[in-house]
Amino acid sequence: MIRYLRLYGYFVRFSVSRAMEFRFDFFFRIFMDGLWYAHHLVFFWVIYRHTSLLGGWTLDQMFIFAGGVFLADGLQMTLFSNNLWMLPNYVNKGDVDYYLVRPVSPLFFLSLRDFAANSFINLLMAAGLFAWALARYPGPLGAGAIAVYVALLLVGCVLHYALQMIFTIPVFWLHTSGGLREIYWSLDRYTGRPHGIFTGWVRRVLVSALPLALIVSYPTSVLFDGLTWKLFAHIVGVTAAAFLLMAWIWSRGLRAYASASS
Amino acid sequence: MRLFWSIAGVEARKRMAYRADFWLNSLVGFVTELGVAYFLVVAMFSGSERLGEYSRNGMLLYYVAVILVARLVRSTDLEWAIADDIYQGALNRYLLYPVPYGVMKYAAQVGALLPALVQVVLFSAWVPFVLGVPEGLRITPATAAMAAGAVLVANLLHFLCTYPIQLVAFWADNCWSLLVAHRLVAMIFGGIMLPLTLFPAWSQPILDALPFRYMFAFPVDALLGRVTPGQYAAGMAIALGWCGVAAALSAAVWRRGTLQYTGVGI
Repeated sequence: MIRYLRLYGYFVRFSVSRAMEFRFDFFFRIFMDGLWYAHHLVFFWVIYRHTSLLGGWTLDQMFIFAGGVFLADGLQMTLFSNNLWMLPNYVNKGDVDYYLVRPVSPLFFLSLRDFAANSFINLLMAAGLFAWALARYPGPLGAGAIAVYVALLLVGCVLHYALQMIFTIPVFWLHTSGGLREIYWSLDRYTGRPHGIFTGWVRRVLVSALPLALIVSYPTSVLFDGLTWKLFAHIVGVTAAAFLLMAWIWSRGLRAYASASS
Repeated sequence: MRLFWSIAGVEARKRMAYRADFWLNSLVGFVTELGVAYFLVVAMFSGSERLGEYSRNGMLLYYVAVILVARLVRSTDLEWAIADDIYQGALNRYLLYPVPYGVMKYAAQVGALLPALVQVVLFSAWVPFVLGVPEGLRITPATAAMAAGAVLVANLLHFLCTYPIQLVAFWADNCWSLLVAHRLVAMIFGGIMLPLTLFPAWSQPILDALPFRYMFAFPVDALLGRVTPGQYAAGMAIALGWCGVAAALSAAVWRRGTLQYTGVGI
């Protein structure tokens, strides 16, 4: 464990120094994500000019939800996105070889090698927006509820990573430019909308087969409605199942990997 | 002109011969986008019959139309192609051709419209049967013709607005984030995320003056018969004016960029 932490420290150091070599890109990306936050906030602000509730939530609650979406996205972008973006390239060019011969888990190496320093700045911005949304919320929100929320959001980030990997790993068999990740990006739109607007079988799918509502939306509801053991067990159980499924598909993928001839 | 259509034809054939995952991604993207819009609209209308000038089905129809129009207006991965040519030094061969580079790239974008057009026809065929035709809505040959003209101008405008952004690649090591930024702004102020009439009254003159409305919302409004001939003429004039501004900016950026282009790529 200590060895992995130390290794991750090196990843961060190298990634930050590499990011500083491409200054334009560094600042452009921060600007882009800042616009993405503004775009979300404007979207909800305009909708709430015409309705007082959306999916059972007020504008103040929706801003907290949006803050959670930004935090989850910031974490995902900082820790995993660049790595998952490059993974299909490595598989198709046979570059996974370099990671298989190292005395470290290839899944750890390929998932966390590149730390996105620019997205870390965005993560700080997201934290600021989340704090702003909490501060303007008129009701009481205890420190305990916020701590539970943050913990569930971290679990949601693991779920997000596992789901994205499940859609990316098929590149071992498909040899396309991105596996099925474009499909995941399309489906990921559901993550950015509150679960309260979905009904019927779509909502059931969003908490089971494709549990995108468990990433941010359900953890946010804990802030307003409190946590039940059933919900806690469901979120943790589904995340564990998704992670195990991802690890299993990954091991099958490595078995199917045909090195540089892929 | 013959060369323009040849390039467009080659690109169209290339796209139509494309793989199954292109069509799968397109279908999933369309269904997901529409699904999210559907539930959003249902939730927005849960407490009221009308929202501004829209009924529930009217707004659903708007979303279907704007999602499909966006496919016609936005190029697909060609958006990154110009920056890639600059990064990789692939621009060299184009500089020797007797046709301006921007014209060739636009011809390729026009060619890429063919699969988008097929998608629009396939994905929209079911709409009248599922949503019905909202009360007061009249799509006539005249509104369809107006919309077709608006889409053509919107496609050109979108290309001309993203072209100078891609030319930033002459100076910056990566400009895809600027293209994403443009896409985000265009989505919110172009009417993809929400009908623009839902924005506050004070913002309407600003939205009218910006180019984004004419990329997406304006062709849809023309199709759905929401613009008068006078408004249509004014809208087209503003859109063409923005095309002129973007073309002038592109020419200036191109001149400066090619002066320092080394031809070896990054």
